[in-house]
Amino acid sequence: MAKVELKGVAKSFGAVRVLDPIDLCVEPGEFVAFVGPSGSGKSTLLRMIAGLESVSEGDVLIGGEEVTFAEPSERGTAMVFQSYALYPHMNVYDNIAFNLRLAKRPKSEIDAQVREAARTLRLEDLLERSPAQLSGGQRQRVAIGRAIVRHPKVFLFDEPLSNLDAALRVQMRLEIARLHREIGATMIYVTHDQVEAMTLADRIVALDDGAIQQTGAPLDLYARPSNRFVAGFIGSPKMNFIPAEVIDGTRAGVGLRLHAGDGTSFGLGALKSAKAGPVSVGVRPEAIRLHIAGGTPPAGTLEIPARVDSVERLGNVTYTYIDVGSDELLTVQSGGDVQLKSGDQALAAIQPESFHVFDAAGKTILSASAAPART
Amino acid sequence: MATTARIFGNKRVGFGQWVIYALIGIAGLFYGTPLAWLFLAGTRSGSSLDSDPPFTFGSFEQMAQSWANLASFNDFQILNWALNSLIYSVGGVTLSLIACIPAGYALATSDFPGRRVILILTLVAMITPSQSIVLPIFLEMNLIGLNNTYLGLILATGFFPFGVYLAYIHFSDSPPKGVLDSARIDGCSRYQLFTHIALPLARPIVSLVAFFSFLANWSNYYLAVVLLSDDKIYNLPVGLTALVSGSGALTNLAATGMPIKKPEVILAAILVILPVLVVFLIAQRFVRSGMLSGAEKG
Ligand SMILES: Nc1ncnc2c1ncn2[C@@H]1O[C@H](COP(=O)(O)OP(=O)(O)OP(=O)(O)O)[C@@H](O)[C@H]1O
Ligand SMILES: [Mg+2]
Repeated sequence: MAKVELKGVAKSFGAVRVLDPIDLCVEPGEFVAFVGPSGSGKSTLLRMIAGLESVSEGDVLIGGEEVTFAEPSERGTAMVFQSYALYPHMNVYDNIAFNLRLAKRPKSEIDAQVREAARTLRLEDLLERSPAQLSGGQRQRVAIGRAIVRHPKVFLFDEPLSNLDAALRVQMRLEIARLHREIGATMIYVTHDQVEAMTLADRIVALDDGAIQQTGAPLDLYARPSNRFVAGFIGSPKMNFIPAEVIDGTRAGVGLRLHAGDGTSFGLGALKSAKAGPVSVGVRPEAIRLHIAGGTPPAGTLEIPARVDSVERLGNVTYTYIDVGSDELLTVQSGGDVQLKSGDQALAAIQPESFHVFDAAGKTILSASAAPART
Repeated sequence: MATTARIFGNKRVGFGQWVIYALIGIAGLFYGTPLAWLFLAGTRSGSSLDSDPPFTFGSFEQMAQSWANLASFNDFQILNWALNSLIYSVGGVTLSLIACIPAGYALATSDFPGRRVILILTLVAMITPSQSIVLPIFLEMNLIGLNNTYLGLILATGFFPFGVYLAYIHFSDSPPKGVLDSARIDGCSRYQLFTHIALPLARPIVSLVAFFSFLANWSNYYLAVVLLSDDKIYNLPVGLTALVSGSGALTNLAATGMPIKKPEVILAAILVILPVLVVFLIAQRFVRSGMLSGAEKG
């Protein structure tokens, strides 16, 4: 268990800046997930912590010790790669024992360690196999076993599950969660799968374009995204965005007009900045309800006429894609089944309190105050 | 395999297929004929070589006789030359492996000043005909007193830029970067990275470089004939050439009295080729891919 501190850590490849200076502190025993789209610099940041990539600016501290220029093996970190990266010429046992042998540990200790790791990861029957004779999930378990026996201060994972099929991914996700509970080490986990991040992490670091967009507990990022990128990245299906405009604003409240339907306008509480001009409004798929035209809506509910584009029924949940006349279709998530079909006219009912509002630059100027309506 | 089975199983040999087989057949005949002739000719007597049709099989007795004639020359000096050839080849192969494999690895995996220049020089050296530097090598060996020694020829043949280049190509994408990264995290030093990870996975390229180096050394004539002047340390190509030209077997000069005639010369040629075939058969079992399977997803 150790604390990992990044102080103004930046990275350039030649003249190309891929990571702006990053400050981050991972507490001992914490599970932190780096999420972000492809090319956002997650792997690069992780590899700088591991010592596999040189640090262009700033300092890396592990357990309070400055390791910016230390060799990877001197940092007390272990890393699990997306590609497993097993040693193909060694069997499972030797793969796991390799670093202990390099460290010249006594044979009996090595054997005990390897067998214990194999037990933890249910690899006991596979120790004599070569990596070529293993399935993807087994290979990834060997890679994790290789990391465990080092008793690292920090575990680093770079998309360890993305080569596995969906079912196996769920199973391995649970195993990694169990591992963290059992050994309690500090873990940093890179993924572009936000489900993994939400379920595993104590804290999520959302990266985009080489910069941290937001850091916080998974549900914090979900409920109060600090900008449009995080709002769109965290949550599945992703948040709907509707272009809108501030038509009149005071410190106490503003009027907004949506570029949707017949230009519905409505009032909201105070925005952080209430300049008139274009904004975008975000609403989670589960915060929209659909009903057939006719009934009287509850007071304060916004109703936007919509045309059903398509319906996806998954049994326990249904996704309806509706056209409200804005640039993109809106996704509506409802429990169970809905009695609508493609081409139907309906009304999309939204509580204005469930709107997030982002300014033209994407910064959040109002977070939703209502908990998303459950259906 | 599956394709072959399908083609033959369903008798669906189309016109294109026929063209390919015909071409293979013609090429096989064209290039295989001289070899077949050589091995057959080894069994024939001088008069048979002169008068019988080209592909006549002689007899094994005749072959034994030719062999006895060849062997009797100068107290079985051929065996001595063959041993010398073995020494030169083993020495040259060992030295070139020791130099080529790490050099290729370093060129492929690290970025050091002068790397590009060395790569270009390697390519230049590779395409420079070795004959063109025989004289400077001779002068150099003369200078350091290694002319006409085993060590001299071995040292000279240890320079094998083709091997460096082969190793460089191999190590450019093997082992996969992820495997090297995880070995670094596991605590491998740069040196251990090579000995524990890269080298054990490089068996195919080591075999390939060894084979090509052996081929070059075993049939090394030009450099050997310049550097070696004492017939005791001749290698096979030089020795046999000396023997053949000395006996006048292939010219129409008056017989020299030596029992070295055409059959013996043919046998000598077989003697040179055979070890290459054997070494190739051994080496090709190792020159196979598949070493890396299991390292990564797949
Ligand atoms: N060796 C390199 N040389 C130059 N640019 C690089 C190098 N490695 C990465 N980059 C660049 O750095 C940026 C960040 O790459 P990185 O691999 O960290 O992304 P990532 O967030 O891990 O993406 P992914 O989800 O696809 O793995 C990318 O734009 C990439 O092109
Ligand atoms: Mg990555």
